[in-house]
Amino acid sequence: MPGSASTTHRPEGLIERLRSAAADGGEAKLKVLRELKNQIIGNRTKKLSYIKLGAVPSVVSILSSASSSVDCLLIQCAATIGSFACGVDAGVKAVLDAGAFPHLINLLSHSNEKVVDAGARALKMIYQSKAAPKYDFFQHKNIEFLISLLDKNNENVTGLGASIITHSCETNNEQKILADAGVLKKLINLLQGTTSQRESSLESFATIIKQNPEVITKFVGPENSTTFGSLLELTKDRYPRTRLLACICLTLIKNATSSSSSYLQSVGIRTKLILVLLELVDDFGQVGDEALFTLSSFIEHEEDLQKLAFEANTVDKLCHQMQKESLQAKRLEGIFTTLGNLCSNLEPCRSIVLQSPKALIIITDALTHTTIDVRVAACICLKNVSRSVKYLSAGHFMTDAVIMPVIQLLYDASTSVQVAALCTLVELSKSMDSTVRLNAVWALRNLMFLVDSRCKEEIFMDLKLFPLTRLISDSNACVQEQALGLVCNLVNGPVDSIMYLFTEGLLLNTVGRELRRASKPQVLVQAMYVMCNVASGKEFEKEAVMQQLVNEDDNNQSIIVTLLQSDVASLRTAVVWTVVNLTIPTGAGALARVVKLRNAGVVSQLKNMVNDPCLDVKLRVRTALGQSMTFGDFST
Amino acid sequence: MSLFWSVIRQLAEIEAMATSKKVITRDEWEKKLNDVKIRKEDMNKLVMNFLVTEGYVDAAEKFRMESGTEPDIDLATITDRMAVKKAVQSGNVEDAIEKVNDLNPEILDTNPQLFFHLQQQRLIELIRNGKIEEALEFAQEELAPRGEENQSFLEELERTVALLAFEDVKNSPVGDLLDISQRLKTASEVNAAILTSQSHEKDPKLPSLLRMLLWAQNQLDEKAAYPRITDLFTATLEDPTV
Repeated sequence: MPGSASTTHRPEGLIERLRSAAADGGEAKLKVLRELKNQIIGNRTKKLSYIKLGAVPSVVSILSSASSSVDCLLIQCAATIGSFACGVDAGVKAVLDAGAFPHLINLLSHSNEKVVDAGARALKMIYQSKAAPKYDFFQHKNIEFLISLLDKNNENVTGLGASIITHSCETNNEQKILADAGVLKKLINLLQGTTSQRESSLESFATIIKQNPEVITKFVGPENSTTFGSLLELTKDRYPRTRLLACICLTLIKNATSSSSSYLQSVGIRTKLILVLLELVDDFGQVGDEALFTLSSFIEHEEDLQKLAFEANTVDKLCHQMQKESLQAKRLEGIFTTLGNLCSNLEPCRSIVLQSPKALIIITDALTHTTIDVRVAACICLKNVSRSVKYLSAGHFMTDAVIMPVIQLLYDASTSVQVAALCTLVELSKSMDSTVRLNAVWALRNLMFLVDSRCKEEIFMDLKLFPLTRLISDSNACVQEQALGLVCNLVNGPVDSIMYLFTEGLLLNTVGRELRRASKPQVLVQAMYVMCNVASGKEFEKEAVMQQLVNEDDNNQSIIVTLLQSDVASLRTAVVWTVVNLTIPTGAGALARVVKLRNAGVVSQLKNMVNDPCLDVKLRVRTALGQSMTFGDFST
Repeated sequence: MSLFWSVIRQLAEIEAMATSKKVITRDEWEKKLNDVKIRKEDMNKLVMNFLVTEGYVDAAEKFRMESGTEPDIDLATITDRMAVKKAVQSGNVEDAIEKVNDLNPEILDTNPQLFFHLQQQRLIELIRNGKIEEALEFAQEELAPRGEENQSFLEELERTVALLAFEDVKNSPVGDLLDISQRLKTASEVNAAILTSQSHEKDPKLPSLLRMLLWAQNQLDEKAAYPRITDLFTATLEDPTV
C-alpha cells in the first residue's frame, strides 16, 4: 500500500504534473491521468476542486492531441472526462467549454470496443445532466445518427442514444418526429437486451409517449399489442427499477388516453398495477419514491382507481410509513400527495387517516417542513382530509394545532404554498368548530385585502364552492364579522371586483338580510361597508344597494335610518359613507335616489346629525347633505 | 426454474389427495420423482451460473469445455472481478478501487454507498496497520465530506473513527470493524455491484433453489409423511417417519 497516499495526491501537485504531461507528452500522461481519474471517481468534493483548478481543459487537450492508436490513453481520457461530468453540472459545463464533445463523438467509431465504451459512457454522463445542450431532432442527419446509435450492438452506445432522447425530447412535435422515425420500435426491441438497456429504453419510451395521445394511439395501440404486452410483462420483472419504469409507461398510456380508449380498462390489470407499485413503495430509495408519485398519478381523477387503491390497503400502508423516522423530503411529498389524492373523494380513506394515531400530527407538522414541495403536499393532503364533514363536525381539527400552521403558510415565500394553504383554509372554514371557522375566515379576509384584482379573480374562481353565504349567516357573530370583512375586501377596489357579488347571485341579498337581522355592531359595520363598497360602483350597483337599504313599500322605518341612529360611531360612519356614495350627483339615477332617500327620512335624519360628536360622521354628513342639496332642497 | 415448479405441482397433487396426513412410501415417491423430466442442459446451466457468479473462473472454463455449456458472461471479466474481490479481502483497498475504476468508472461514480464503504474499509486498514496520523488525515479529507452529504454515512464514520479511541480495540464495542468478516462484507458488496453493472444477477440461482426446496418440504410436512431430504450435502431420501 502506498504509504503517504494523501500527501502526494494533493490537488495542486497533481495539476502541476498534469499540465506538464499535457505539454510534453510521453509516458507520464497515462500515469497522471489514471491517478486523476481515481481521485475524482465517486468524490464530488474533489471533482469540484479539480474543476476549479482547471484540470478539465488539460485532459481534453491530451485527448485532442492523442493519436487514435494509443487506445489506453483514449480510454483514460474519456473515463476522466466522463467522471467529471458525472453528477456535477459544473463538470458538464467545464467539459463542454473545453470542447470535449466532438472528440468524444469521434471515439464512438473507434475499432476498439473498449474505447467506444469509454466514449459512450462519457457522453451518456453529459446527457444525464440538465446542463447538457439540447439535441436537435429537427435535423434529419441528427435523427439518422441517433438511430445508428440505437442500432449498435453495444449497451453503452444504445444507452447513450436513449439518454439523448430522455434529455432532449420535450415537445409534442419532437415526440412525433421520433415516433415517426421508428424510434419507439427500436426501443421496444432493446427491451430484450441487458438490464441497463431495458431500463434506459423504458425511460426514453416514456419520454416519447408522455402526454401525447396521438403518438400513443398510432404506435402503442391494440394493433401493436406486442408493445403493450411487453410492458405488462415487465411489471413482473425481477428488477424493481424495471418494474417501476414499466408501470410509469402504462400509467402514461392510461392517463393520455383515458375514458375513450380500451387500454387498461380491465379491473384485474388495474389492481395488479396498483399492487406492483405498492410493493415498490417498500423500497426506501429512489425507486420507492418514484413509485409513490406514479401511483398517485395513476389514481388521480378516477374514483374507481382510488377505490381499488383503497381496497389494496394503500391508506393504512402510507399512514404507517409516514411514522418512520427521518424520512427524506421526496418520500414525505410522495406520501402526502398520494394520500391527498385518495382522500379527495373517499370518506373511508379520510376516516383511516383521522383514526391513525399520529397521521394528522405528522401532516400538520409537515406544514412547516423546510422543503416547499413537502409543505404544498402536506397542505393539499390536509385540505382533502378535512373534507370529511363527519370529522369536521366532531371538531377533529383542533384550533391551534391545525389551523395556525396553515395560516402561517399564507405568508410563505412560495406562491404554490400560499394557494394550497388558501384552499385548505376554505375547507376548514366549513368546520363546525366556530373557532376554527373564525380563524380560517379571518386569514382569508386578510389575504383578500393583500392580493391584486387578477389574483382575487383567480382565487374566487378557484373557490366556486366557497360557502360565503353560509358564513355570512353563521351562528357565531365573530365568524359573521370576518366573513363580511372578507366580502368587503373582495369588492374593494376597481369596479370589476364588485361584480363578484353579483356573479355570486344571492350574496348581496344575504348581506342585506344580515343588516336587518344582526344585532352585533361589528357585524353591522362590516355589512355596511360591503354596501358602501358596492355603492361606489356604477348605476346598476348603486340601484342594487338602494333596493337592500330603502324599502318603499314598507311603512316601517327604513333600515338605513335605524342604522343612522345607532349609538356606535363606526356604524354611523359606515352608513353615512354609503349615503355619500349613493348621492354622488353625476350618475343618471342620482336624482331619483336622492328623492327616495329623502322620502325614507334619510335626509332629515342626516340634518339631525350635522353636529355629531364623532368628527368622521360629522364631516361625511355634511358631504352627503351637500350632494343631496345639489338637486335643490325640496323640504322648503 | 422448471424443476421447482414441477415439484410444486407434485405437492399440489398430493395435497389435493390428502385429507388427513398422508403417508407416501419411498417407492411411490421415487416413482413420482422419476416422472419429473429435467433437461440436462438446464442442470448444466445451473452449474455454470453458480461457477460464474461465485467467480470460479478455472472451473467454469473446464466445465465449459466438458459440458459444452456457454457461460452468459465473458469469462475474462470474472478474472477482473475476482482480482477486485481478492484485493479487498486481503486489505488492499486502494488497489481494489483502482481496479474497479478500470473495469467500469460508472460503478463507484453512481453508487455512493459502495464508494463510502470502500473508503471506510481503507480507513479501517490504515488503523489496523497503526498508521494513525495518516488515518486521521484520510478520514478528514476523504470521508468527512461524504458524511456531510449523508447522515447514515456520518454515523458509520463516527463508529469507525472510534477505533482510535480504544487501547484494546479487539474487545471494544467497535471491534467488529477490524474483524475479517468486515472485509468479506465489503468484498461481497463490490462483487455484487460489479455483477449488477454487467447485467448479471448478483446471487447464483442454485442456493435460492435449495431454499425453495426447504420451504416446499416444510409446507409438505404439515400434510404428509414422505421421504424427505434433510442432508443437503448428500441429498439422500430419508424414510418417512409415521
